[in-house]
Amino acid sequence: MLMSTLMFGAMFSVLTISLNLQYARGGMINFGTVAYFAAGAYAYAIFTQEPPSGLDQYAFGLNAPWWVGFIAAGLAAMIFALVTGWPTLRLRGEYLALTTFAFAEVLHSVLLNERRIGNGSVGMANVERPDPTVLGLDDTLVYTLAACALMLATAWIFRRLLASPYGRLVDATRDDEIAAEAVGKNTARVRLQIFVISAIPIGLAGALYAMITTLVAPALFTAEVTFFVWIALALGGERTIIGAILGTMALVFFQEAVRMIPFETVRSAQIAASVEEVITGILFIIVLRWQPWDRLSRKAQS
Amino acid sequence: MTLFAQFFLTGIVTGCFLILATIGFSFTRRVEGFLNIAHAELLGVSAFTTWALNKPLGWHILPSALVAIVLTAFVGLIIGRVVYDPIRKFGPSVMLITSVGVAYVIGGTVDALIGTGIRTLDIPLASSIRFLGLRITNYQLLVVVLAVVACASLALFLNKSRTGLAIRAISANPELAASRGIDVRKTSRATWLISSGMAGIAGVMLGVIATLSTDIAFHQILYILAVAILAGLGSLYAVILSGLIVGIAMDVSVFWIPAGYRPLIAFAVVILVLLVRPQGLAGSASSK
Repeated sequence: MLMSTLMFGAMFSVLTISLNLQYARGGMINFGTVAYFAAGAYAYAIFTQEPPSGLDQYAFGLNAPWWVGFIAAGLAAMIFALVTGWPTLRLRGEYLALTTFAFAEVLHSVLLNERRIGNGSVGMANVERPDPTVLGLDDTLVYTLAACALMLATAWIFRRLLASPYGRLVDATRDDEIAAEAVGKNTARVRLQIFVISAIPIGLAGALYAMITTLVAPALFTAEVTFFVWIALALGGERTIIGAILGTMALVFFQEAVRMIPFETVRSAQIAASVEEVITGILFIIVLRWQPWDRLSRKAQS
Repeated sequence: MTLFAQFFLTGIVTGCFLILATIGFSFTRRVEGFLNIAHAELLGVSAFTTWALNKPLGWHILPSALVAIVLTAFVGLIIGRVVYDPIRKFGPSVMLITSVGVAYVIGGTVDALIGTGIRTLDIPLASSIRFLGLRITNYQLLVVVLAVVACASLALFLNKSRTGLAIRAISANPELAASRGIDVRKTSRATWLISSGMAGIAGVMLGVIATLSTDIAFHQILYILAVAILAGLGSLYAVILSGLIVGIAMDVSVFWIPAGYRPLIAFAVVILVLLVRPQGLAGSASSK
């Protein structure tokens, strides 16, 4: 259980870290995180899947090796961020939140209805993945390490990026757009850059998710994923990268723990799932209301 | 041609339902200043309370519906008091994100109490009325009538009653209104009761025109958001107009595009409009 917590925790942390960059540093509320995640996962599946045969309804399966799919996933998320970010980033606050949410719903609906992309609601199963057992390694262990590596790489790159002069430009864009414009900075471009840069690791995490579950289907990429990442971000406190990671780990641990409880009947399992939802919601409300972590970190600084 | 007119008519009914579902949401946005994602879950509270009284307890549909609407109004009021009031100082973004948590709590509670599966209310089968070769069922007609009555009474309330005027004053300028001696707590209470009550009415109609499953409430938020953004998060009249536009667009599009794309059509309309008018159809500037 600890292993799977670490595996999924690290993978979702990539999303939280990216969201942290968009929201806490870029000042943009993205309520469509799942779309970039799904774009990555589907790109990976389409690139690595064998050409369609028999009852398959998808049109393309390029049968490429896994690393080609992995790169394609990053690119797909990047392109999707460009396409969605370019027209919408002049929208502010809640309008941006709702439009990104809308994009995610549109993508979900297209994936569900356009069977030629990813086999519709059935999805693409048996997604190809590198098989570490050939080398005599446990595959859960290898994927956990891969997720951690992706998480650390994302955290490190974002940290370096924001510690540089570019980071100050980002902060300036968020805090006082007019002043930043006045000294000759193109704030619209900075916002788009942040949006696109932070989408890439989300896409890569999507590819990793496809490898871990070996399945991509619309049911895996619902608004729940977006909300999950937001809750994790709120839990960890939105200011720091460490906070984003800890928040995600805590939330994943909590969900895995609930999943471990054995249930006698289907009904009791259902109730447990609902209660888990209620507790997650209450946690979320409490954290946003009292923001204990935020206050703790401020105390530590002063 | 008749088929097209029939789709158009169904679109108007869909639009009227969307108006009922969105009015409360848009009202909260205007007075309390934030987007309440949990609004759609209130529809579920109302729909399942109606069902619980009507089916397992065997009540007649009318008292069941009335109790459900009143209960939903009070649930909304309590949530407003306990959850949203204390965090108003953090601004609309935090309130928006908090409302996602509230949606989880309400949705999870309804799920735990009701469980999965499809349910219907114990009401007479719909009978259809024919005119000019078109058909409309009595329940569809009821949705249209309720939407008209709800809009008209809300407009009257906002323009004529003391509380209504106070609400308008607060939504225009909260500091000024407070300094002029308007009771902010009382108007906030009225706002929560009205907007949640509207969600209650929409929830009952959801049970009347559709079959109920516990995830139905969550799906409504997509349409509510679409209508509200299109309206520019603002006035009652803009909500009416955009509700009809989205409803008609969704049903008429079935003429050319598979029905599975209905939600997509709603958002496609919204995205297209926002590209041309970033503030929606009749929007004022976003609060942040």
